[in-house]
Amino acid sequence: MNSLRFPAGLTIAGLLIYLMLIGPFTSFMKNKPLVEKLGYMPSVNVLRSLSGDQKELAGASLVMKVLMYFGGIVGKAQEGRVISEPPDLQGMSRLLHGAVKLDPYNIDAYYFAQSFLTWDARQFKVANALLDYGMKYRTWDWYLPFFAGFNSAYFLKDYAKASEYYKKAGELSGQDLHRSLAGRYMQEAGQTELAIAYLSAIEKGENNPAMKKNYQIRLYAFRELHRIELACDRFRNEQGIMPVSVAQLQQQGYLDPEPVDPYGGRFYIDSSGKVKTTSKFAFATKNK
Amino acid sequence: MITIIQITLKGIFRDRVFQGIMALAVLFLFIPSAASLSMRQVTELSITLSLSLISFILLLLAVFLGSTSLWKDMERRYTFSVLSLPVSRTSYLLGRFFGLALFLLMTSALLGTVAGLVIKVASGIYPPGRPIVWSYLLLAVIFATLKYILLVAAAMLLSTVSTSFFLPVFGTICTFLASGITQQVYEFVHSPASANTISPFLKTVATGVYYILPNLSGFDLKVNAIYSIPPSGYGLGLTLFYFISYTAMLLGGAALLFARREMK
Repeated sequence: MNSLRFPAGLTIAGLLIYLMLIGPFTSFMKNKPLVEKLGYMPSVNVLRSLSGDQKELAGASLVMKVLMYFGGIVGKAQEGRVISEPPDLQGMSRLLHGAVKLDPYNIDAYYFAQSFLTWDARQFKVANALLDYGMKYRTWDWYLPFFAGFNSAYFLKDYAKASEYYKKAGELSGQDLHRSLAGRYMQEAGQTELAIAYLSAIEKGENNPAMKKNYQIRLYAFRELHRIELACDRFRNEQGIMPVSVAQLQQQGYLDPEPVDPYGGRFYIDSSGKVKTTSKFAFATKNK
Repeated sequence: MITIIQITLKGIFRDRVFQGIMALAVLFLFIPSAASLSMRQVTELSITLSLSLISFILLLLAVFLGSTSLWKDMERRYTFSVLSLPVSRTSYLLGRFFGLALFLLMTSALLGTVAGLVIKVASGIYPPGRPIVWSYLLLAVIFATLKYILLVAAAMLLSTVSTSFFLPVFGTICTFLASGITQQVYEFVHSPASANTISPFLKTVATGVYYILPNLSGFDLKVNAIYSIPPSGYGLGLTLFYFISYTAMLLGGAALLFARREMK
């Protein structure tokens, strides 16, 4: 009997300490700074050698890691909280670039990188270089030129290049929409419609609920913007002058109900008569 | 030899190692839900996960069964009683090998069927970007199996020269890791970029090692199966004959060494 006392005591002592620790430990891990969560990315060459014949799995797991990380941040932002720390966009980009080196066919990586590299990180050239790399492998996929075309037209204002991409997307998909995009929206005036067409297309094909929500919010913001633009046009046609503020449009009955920016920004009309929002279509971060 | 094949199979099914490894197959149940996290390639991700899991299970089986099969017999001194029967050492060794090979084939047939069901379920959640080509999937599973059969032969060669199971187990794992990257190393040392950094001597050594070690990267058809990219028929033919010739060399070598080995 005596001989059992020590092991029993040891087990109980261990259990007690474990129970005391598990709460703080879990909350520590949960609140760990996000940069640490994303983790260290070993050199792609090392990773490729270590992953042996599991390169596709290694690539997919890198994408998943970034997705979980970003999904967590977007989730917090959607609960109405201001993001306490800006997402580690550079780290995300590094991981996704590594992922496509391991598996150059992984559409999730291109798709996701394209989404945050443009809207959030504003690295349009990096995004298009990545898409160009993907087009070499995914030769059947119209999404990649479709994304690249949008980036060229909307962000880079390189309409010649955008037409080229859209033409390619049209040839691959056989859809007239992309062919008409190549011509119709290639001007400053049609930018908002272009963005709405683009966002609707990607929102429709999205499977991940967090990301789908993300696109729906952006789409909503653009639809609101479009509503103000239409009101502006009506105002100008009827009164012969440009409206000076969004409030003026509302007071005179051109705009009802009041437009809401889901990103928490405020719509305004700038000196050249363009409708803009203070949020720039991204959730606010404290550091900005 | 047929008897030895049968005994080998029976032995494996009773083996705890086998049962433990096969418990991993439970992970197949989680593949559809894990794959549904993907943004745009749910089906593709489920194929990736299924093929990876099959590959991983086969790797464990090949390493542990391949390298412990002979060692266990010698350790338990079964070899004495077996070899006192009218059975040549070569046919004993080959019997063990074919038993293991047959077992790997059966396992991958079973796991492949399960994977097929899992992928079918996942493709119902979110249709794939390109239609799944089931024959590519089958090819990927078959070639993965061949790869691990070759690894079993390598493990047996190592266990004929070793007295413990450390060399076969870790030697096989190292062979496996090295075999995945030899192609990359070969291409690097022969690229113009490396001409200035790598001495001609090292280049010769690396090339020599490349020809000696098995090159298993040709057996990897995962990308073809996942993204429905047609594999090259010529390449498949070459890989198949590579498998036959390399396995023959390994088994021949193993049989020669085993015949000369002194049994205590």
